[in-house]
Amino acid sequence: MKPIIEIRNLRKRFGRTVAVDDLTMDVPEGQVTAFLGPNGAGKTSTIKCLLNLLAPDAGEIRVLGADSSRLDSAAFRQIGYVSENQEMPLWMTVRQFLDYCRPMYPAWDQAFADLLLKQFDLPPGTKLKALSRGMRIKAALLSSLAYRPKLVVLDEPFSGLDPLVRDEFIRGMLEMTEQEGWSVFVSSHDIAEVERLADRVAIIHRGRLQLDEAAESLVARFRGIEVLLESEAATPGNPPANWLNLEISGRVARFTDSRYDERELDGAVKKNLPQARQWRALPMTLRDIFVALARTYRLNGSNQAAEGN
Amino acid sequence: MLPFTFQIEDGLPVSDQLEQAVRKAIFTGQLADGDIFPSVRTLSQELRISPTTAHKVVAALRENGYLASRPGIGMVVRTPNLPERSKRIEYLQPLCRELLREAGDLHLEVEDVVEALRRAAKQPDGDRAAMKKSKP
Repeated sequence: MKPIIEIRNLRKRFGRTVAVDDLTMDVPEGQVTAFLGPNGAGKTSTIKCLLNLLAPDAGEIRVLGADSSRLDSAAFRQIGYVSENQEMPLWMTVRQFLDYCRPMYPAWDQAFADLLLKQFDLPPGTKLKALSRGMRIKAALLSSLAYRPKLVVLDEPFSGLDPLVRDEFIRGMLEMTEQEGWSVFVSSHDIAEVERLADRVAIIHRGRLQLDEAAESLVARFRGIEVLLESEAATPGNPPANWLNLEISGRVARFTDSRYDERELDGAVKKNLPQARQWRALPMTLRDIFVALARTYRLNGSNQAAEGN
Repeated sequence: MLPFTFQIEDGLPVSDQLEQAVRKAIFTGQLADGDIFPSVRTLSQELRISPTTAHKVVAALRENGYLASRPGIGMVVRTPNLPERSKRIEYLQPLCRELLREAGDLHLEVEDVVEALRRAAKQPDGDRAAMKKSKP
């Protein structure tokens, strides 16, 4: 299937700060892609470039098959965008705001808007400025879903939302599920927020793409390994590259295997930890994997260790 | 609300867990032949999982004869014949590995585990586990 977003060698700098550094990635159609990274990693700059809200310094982006620097209003009618710092006409009531958005979108589905209004428990007569942050972002989401966009781009939508509102937000968004080819690109600094939702995970760190992989294959290849040793041992000087964050405490060695293969690991354990008595492999959640990778990036500043092959 | 019990556990693919939960619900009678099965959208919304995952699970259940599509209604539950014994035993493997790991930590052998299971089956609520389940 053709990607819904194609990013090629994207660069964006602000003064001397490089926000996005040679980023190349595809966002597949019909899936939920989580775009993860710590604050300041370059997520918002990337998103703004792909929506033509910022001009890239180099590189090319195609969104829905068209050059992002030439996105026209017809293209924007197929894209829903909600960001953390969404600008909204705060003097309007919820109802006025929706009435104001509607004429811009020929595909606006009023029945669907009404359904979401009810589901989100939004008070139509209240001014946006009187709403809580959570309520306001739900109103923003509503205005971006009501015209049934093909692509939904969410920039840190959940930050600062209480769990209940976050839940309602996700539930509301999933009303779109049955739409053909519907795609979501959602950025977050906290994987826990999107863990179950993501079909695909992309991690950006210091403007560079560190990882871009199907969630299922990540969960399949990562394991937390615990080795029981006969006697206390020193940490081997040169462990295999796929052993991340190796640590030994007393008679227990622990590490993350980023390329788990039962038979291969058994040989590698014997070779690198000759004092090993037994070992076991524990499945990891996406969150565990994310934390292990984040630690690795911080330690050696490279993406070598995280590679699958 | 979903018409069957499902609690997501960490570390295992949600799709596998969901598929297993539905199979279990069918075997235990929570879901009966002809019951309307939730749509992909409902599954995805209720569990906050990706629509792709929900879709995959429904497709797999349908493939294996646990669901059938009924025009105008959607998916309905089917109770296929119980899978062959070896396949049912296969379902128990993850739990068994867990049990053996605990046993290993306690320096117990497989025979000890078998004895532990026999003892457990004699407990007042143990008969539920050992109860013969006839096909619903």
